[in-house]
Amino acid sequence: MDILSDINFALRTLIKNPKFTALTVFVMTTGLTLCIYMFSFIHGSIVAPLPFENGERIRAVGTIHNGMHYQGASFRVHDFEDLKKRVQSYEVFDAYDVATVNLSTSDRAVRYTGHYVTENFFEISEAKPLFGRLITNEDGVSGAEPVAVISHTIWQNMFAGDKNVLGKKLRINSKPTTVIGVMPDSYQFPSAGRVWMPFTTTGKGVARKDGHYVAVYGVLKGGVTDKQADAELQILMAELAESYPKLNSNTSAHVWTLQLAAMGSDTPIIILAMELAVGFILLLACINVGNLLFSRATEKGKETAIRTALGAPRIRLVMQMMWESLLICLISGVLAVLFAGLWLEVANRDVLESFPFDPPFWWNIKITQTSLIAAVVITLVTAFITGILPALKATSGDFNATLRDGTRGAQSKASGRLSKVIVISEVVLSCALLLLSTGMVYSVNQQNTIDYGTTVEDIFTASVGLPEVAYENDEKRQQYYQNLAESLLTEAEISAVSFTRALPGNGASYENIALDNVDYGKNPQYPSSSSVGVDHNYFAVMEMNLREGRLFDSRDKIDSPLTAVVTDNFVNKFFKDGDVLGKRFKFVETDKDWYTVIGVVNDVIHGQPMSYNIEKPTAFISIQQTPKRFMSVVIKTEADNAASVTGLSERVVDIALKVERDAPLYNVKTLRNSITARNAGMNFVSELFLVFAIASMVLAFSGIYGVMSNTIVQKTQEIGIRRALGADNSDIYKHFIKQGVKQLAIGLAIGLPMGVALVTMLEASSIAQGSLMLYFVIPAFISAVMLLAIYYPVQRALKMEPCAALRHE
Amino acid sequence: MKTLIKLTNLKKVFSTDEVETHALSDINLEVKQGEYLSIAGPSGCGKSTLLSLLGLLDTSSGGSYNLNGHDVVDINGKQRAAIRNKEIGFVFQSFNLISELTVAENVALPLTYRKDLSKSQRAELVTAALEKVDMNHRTKHYPSQLSGGQQQRVAVARAIAGNPSIILADEPTGNLDSKNAELVMALLDKLHAEGATICMVTHDPRGAKRAERVIEIFDGRIVSDSPTMPSQIEEAVA
Repeated sequence: MDILSDINFALRTLIKNPKFTALTVFVMTTGLTLCIYMFSFIHGSIVAPLPFENGERIRAVGTIHNGMHYQGASFRVHDFEDLKKRVQSYEVFDAYDVATVNLSTSDRAVRYTGHYVTENFFEISEAKPLFGRLITNEDGVSGAEPVAVISHTIWQNMFAGDKNVLGKKLRINSKPTTVIGVMPDSYQFPSAGRVWMPFTTTGKGVARKDGHYVAVYGVLKGGVTDKQADAELQILMAELAESYPKLNSNTSAHVWTLQLAAMGSDTPIIILAMELAVGFILLLACINVGNLLFSRATEKGKETAIRTALGAPRIRLVMQMMWESLLICLISGVLAVLFAGLWLEVANRDVLESFPFDPPFWWNIKITQTSLIAAVVITLVTAFITGILPALKATSGDFNATLRDGTRGAQSKASGRLSKVIVISEVVLSCALLLLSTGMVYSVNQQNTIDYGTTVEDIFTASVGLPEVAYENDEKRQQYYQNLAESLLTEAEISAVSFTRALPGNGASYENIALDNVDYGKNPQYPSSSSVGVDHNYFAVMEMNLREGRLFDSRDKIDSPLTAVVTDNFVNKFFKDGDVLGKRFKFVETDKDWYTVIGVVNDVIHGQPMSYNIEKPTAFISIQQTPKRFMSVVIKTEADNAASVTGLSERVVDIALKVERDAPLYNVKTLRNSITARNAGMNFVSELFLVFAIASMVLAFSGIYGVMSNTIVQKTQEIGIRRALGADNSDIYKHFIKQGVKQLAIGLAIGLPMGVALVTMLEASSIAQGSLMLYFVIPAFISAVMLLAIYYPVQRALKMEPCAALRHE
Repeated sequence: MKTLIKLTNLKKVFSTDEVETHALSDINLEVKQGEYLSIAGPSGCGKSTLLSLLGLLDTSSGGSYNLNGHDVVDINGKQRAAIRNKEIGFVFQSFNLISELTVAENVALPLTYRKDLSKSQRAELVTAALEKVDMNHRTKHYPSQLSGGQQQRVAVARAIAGNPSIILADEPTGNLDSKNAELVMALLDKLHAEGATICMVTHDPRGAKRAERVIEIFDGRIVSDSPTMPSQIEEAVA
């Protein structure tokens, strides 16, 4: 009954004070919404185990080369085979390959992602075909009939859902292949696949340097931790580096969960930044609501004293106050779950639309049972933190003195100290949080507006992969590229066509190089450089600047000495004296002939515009000398903005099919869209941090204003005293501003370095970027908030006659 | 003796919604320099309102107020603050010391609003005031560390620190026990004896008796002004 009457009393109190209730619920809902959203997002995308029996133990193994993390097909198959023989930490240690493949039937050709897999692959992912059978290890044996399992999409699109598809043939990369099974639409492992073929890649009979690259995954043995598995890998990779210094120097490996591997190596630090930001926001919300509750408790000091005098035990009084905070937090918690759910739905849709890849199958970014449990726990903990301090503080005073109204001074002094601590905390948290959030937003904005070193807006791009069987030699490939270019140039809107292995903004191969006349010793630590094959007209089409020397021309033929055009970064890193023309280097792994530097051009950013990519040296090599099967087509349009040319992508695809029906163009889009899609992940994170920044601004403003306003209202009597003693308005303003400035200075002295440290920490990963402007504007903003928070309440108090202020309770 | 305060037909009307309450009507009063005046009357009669008007803590609704030769009815807020600071010393019933300031800082507070005093001059005035109330041994204490009587003595020191023309005391013994009340009243007597002009609102007939002139207010009007305490005041107060 006591509890019921306390709840009833707390409810009545909240209803009687709608403004107070609305403000506290608003503040707490803001904090809890962000917190529940972040929890659900992180849990649904990264933390929740994969939905398989051994989901918690499935791991991706990636390589680390010169400090850079690589996922996917990053292990030379020889290394994988060596590791497989020696690793002890895994129940299953296996590899697969992933590549885009050309699928053609008698009437059409399409480009899809294909997976080359073993039996293990389907076993650990608990795959069950819709009909037919899965790949077995026998299918991968040399001489076995080429078979493929196709996805539901391909079954529908290429076979019109024909139930008799099993046993039918389709050409995969021009090779006739028998369909043996159809997978359900829901099957995705480790990412959205469309066709699965036997894994036949091997190091047997292949020189180590020519080894194909494969993706490695495994299932950890029960009880083996990631740390232990990682340590084992480090040792084994170090041994490989010792055995094969040319190929494996500076190369190590790392164990990832599949979820983290899919999100990229920067994910842990981004998650940490998000958790910090959300933690700060929730803390700000707690402080704000706690302060409001404390003010109310102070206002009701006399009522509390009367209850104490009438024999109410302290625990009962504390509980009575706690019910208020619990009700506020519960209402906020319910609203927060609703808002977070809505936000997740919108964000999920946006993410799906903006990401350049299909979302991983395990993504379950919504309010789940786990997030609901977490929401309840967070809400209860928040209610406790928010309510307990004000309740304890409000019931710890001398109730007799309060009743006699004699020593309000002692109580006010304590609450004055608390108010100061609260204001300082608000300044510290909001400063650090705003710096962190705006640093993140600023960084992404810088990245989105960065100069990639080439023209971007007037370029259309597409990818092409030539079938291995039909294009087995360099001459045939060269002929194809020439034919395609000539055909495309018949379109009036196309002014130039070129080819490259890596478009600006897209990742380029990063390889160990050896400079001529440099002795790297027995344990070589080779430097690395991006290597990008380009057509001879690429530099002109992309409007790059020649610094010195010459560009590729007819002298750089397939049978002439290998040549390279390098970037400024290459020169600055490897030829500090600037004397680079005529110097030679070679790619260590392929161990081909020496490349002679013939020219220097401006830097081009390959990959996301992070500092490590911006600073990478690049060597452009001629595709006339090393024509590859996979290439990006660069199509320069007559229009300033490629996106404005209507129907071009369809026409380009048609033209390419006429040139080679087994080599459809794919990824046809403007270069700007390609870059934007690459940055979609960071843009999404940036948008989140923008929300954090806005939330922290609102909470900082309302919090600082609330505390200062409340402090000044509590000091109305003091203002009356000071005025009675002769203080004029300016004296009163000065007094409070002086006090406020002290708190502001302490808060900024802690918050500013804390924020700068956080930004600096993220700067290392190019996730955030500080700027002097931000370091000035944010403290200035907080100072302005502080001044406003002082000015208006003081102005209100000064509107009273001194005698009224003296009587103010 | 010089006239320090002259009120002519002073009025105070409080307006709430459509109701007008005449707190004070046609108050005519003169206070000479060095006088010890007591204002008495039943609760709600307008004593404290009159003291607020005398102390420029409130504005009148009509009439004139001359303080030390200056008309102070139509002056602005800044001028009122300056007059409160230099001419008037306040002693309140609930002491009204600032809890975050030490005894010395509380006493120095009105002096800090004077631009013409150096730090050392302020310190001298503070020491002198605290010595007068015998509280110079508690300079670094905070109000919460003092008894009620001690707090009120500090309040008196604050009132006299700037050598004001008049001390306005509003029920100075209202929150004190009889022993401490006697000590504070004795202090006011002493200050008066040294030449201070004191105007005190009190319920306490024993306190009122110590003044040399008693004004009785009833329903916002002065109903008696005599050098001795009339018997009806004793009855009313009792």
